[in-house]
Formats: sequence, C-alpha cells, structure tokens
Amino acid sequence: MDNLAKRLREDADLIEVAVSPELDDRIYASLQGARQEASQSVAATRRPASFWWASSLTGVAAALVLVTIVNLNESEPEIAVTEPPVQQFSIPRFNWKPETAMLTESLEQELEDIQSDLKKAEQAVKEDFDDIGVRALSEKGL
Amino acid sequence: MGSSGEKVLIAAAKRGSVDAFTELVAGYRDGLLRFLVTRTLSFADAEDALQDTLINAYRYLKSYDPKWRFSTWLYRIAINNAARLRSVETIEIGDLSDEEAGPLEQCIAAAERENLWLSAKNLLNDEVYAAIWLRYVEDMSVRDISTILERSVSWTKVNLLRARRQLDADLNSEVGSNKSNAYG
Repeated sequence: MDNLAKRLREDADLIEVAVSPELDDRIYASLQGARQEASQSVAATRRPASFWWASSLTGVAAALVLVTIVNLNESEPEIAVTEPPVQQFSIPRFNWKPETAMLTESLEQELEDIQSDLKKAEQAVKEDFDDIGVRALSEKGL
Repeated sequence: MGSSGEKVLIAAAKRGSVDAFTELVAGYRDGLLRFLVTRTLSFADAEDALQDTLINAYRYLKSYDPKWRFSTWLYRIAINNAARLRSVETIEIGDLSDEEAGPLEQCIAAAERENLWLSAKNLLNDEVYAAIWLRYVEDMSVRDISTILERSVSWTKVNLLRARRQLDADLNSEVGSNKSNAYG
C-alpha cells in the first residue's frame, strides 16, 4: 500500500461515526413497516381459487358463445334477391260478334248506312254513360 | 461474513425476513453512514439517507442480481439516496455558508494534522470523491466503482488517477509547509 492509500485509510478511520441504538431501532421499525406493507400488497393482489375457477368458466362460456355465433352466421341461407312481381294487366276480351256486311246496295249507300249506324251506336253509348253518372250521383245523395 | 452465509441471509431476506436482512446489513451500516456523512449537509440527513437506503434495499431485494457484490448494490442505492436528498436540500435552504461546519468536519476526531478527506472534499467533485472513497476505504475494484457510479471503467480509471495526483500534490504541499514551519 502506498503512502497516499495508507493515509486515506487512516484518515477515514478518524471519522468517528457509528449507528446509534436509536437509529438502529428506527430502521428496524421501518423495515417491519415495509414488510407489513409488502405482505398486504401481496394479499391484495392474491385472489382466491374460486376467482380463478369463475374466470376460467366465464372464459370457456364466452368462447363457446363466440364459436356458436360464428357457426350460425355461416349456415344461414343467403337471402335471395327476387324482383318484385310485375303486375300483369290482362286486356279484357270482348266477345265480338262480327257480322258480314251484306253489300246489296251501292257502295255509297252502304257507307251512309254504316255512318248512320255508328252515329246511333255513339248516341247509345253516350246515353248509357249519362245514365251511369246520374245513378252514381243519386246514390251519393246529390 | 462468508459469501455462502451472505447468500443464505439474502435468500431469507428475499422471503421477507427482517431479522435476516438486519443481520445481512449489520456489517455495512457503519461504513455506509460514514460514507453518507461525507455526502450530506447534516448528520441527521446522513442518518435519514442510511434509513432510506436500507428500506429501499429491503423493498427491492428481489431485484438484486447476485452477479454483483452485495456491497456494490448497497452503495449504489446509498449514492442515489444521498444525491436525491442533497438536491432537495439545495433547493430548500441553498448553500451553507462557509462558517457552518458540515457533518464531516463535526465527525472528524481531533488530530494534529488536517484530515485528508476534508482536502479531498474541497479538491474533488462528488463523483470523484465517491470513487476515491470506494477505492481506498471500501477496497472496491475499479469495475465495481464504475458500476456504482454508472460510468465506464476507463472514466473511473482516469479520474481515480487524476484524483490521486491532486491529493498527492496536496499531501506533499502539506508536508512541505510542515517542514518549512519546522525549520523556519
């Protein structure tokens, strides 16, 4: 050991310091407090066995529900997109009774007869419509 | 205490035994307090720092890595506590006036010559002072000191050498002045 090292060691020994009994007691009490604190925090974080059982069962149940939901979604039939039915209008059929024109007169005469028949028919239709309108109004009490 | 005995006590203290921990640190308490006296502004602070150091060591013993020496780990905590305490005090009360004697001055036994650690405190910064203390009072290796101070090994070596030169020069000047006084 060289001179400087020896001197540093000697001078350190001249620093008169020792842990007093009061400090010793204080430290011991603090250590006991720290131990209690640590054991309390461990107890707070420690859970009973029933907790782990319950949480495990909940987890399994949740997994089963999830699997079921996924499977149900897969088996569900696809919704067929169908076009709305087009309402078909049926054209009322008339029971025509064609009659063969008897061309016994001259063509001019036949034309006049046909025009006269048409006017008569038109007149008859008008009268029918009028009757229907009058009847509807009378039914409404007007 | 043998290292195997220390291991047994550490294992018991890790399981929560306060008695085992008290026995484990019994051999370090006085040395730690003496070291803390040199790094705090009052003796009461040094005691508080020692208490905090031991409580922290007990609380975090589970994180202790056995590849470190136990004393290395303990001094590392002590230095952190002292630094924290000092920073709080500096904010609260500011620097002490030169006339007020610090705890180191109060604890040094009366001697004919000036204690070299007082010179060291004036000449060296806190980190280098701690390095010198750990090297020459606690007999720690350079590697352990660098671990405690969180510095590189080369930084520690260089600063130990510089500190030695400064203290050597101070010591020689003291011897010189004594001689001149003697023959003056």
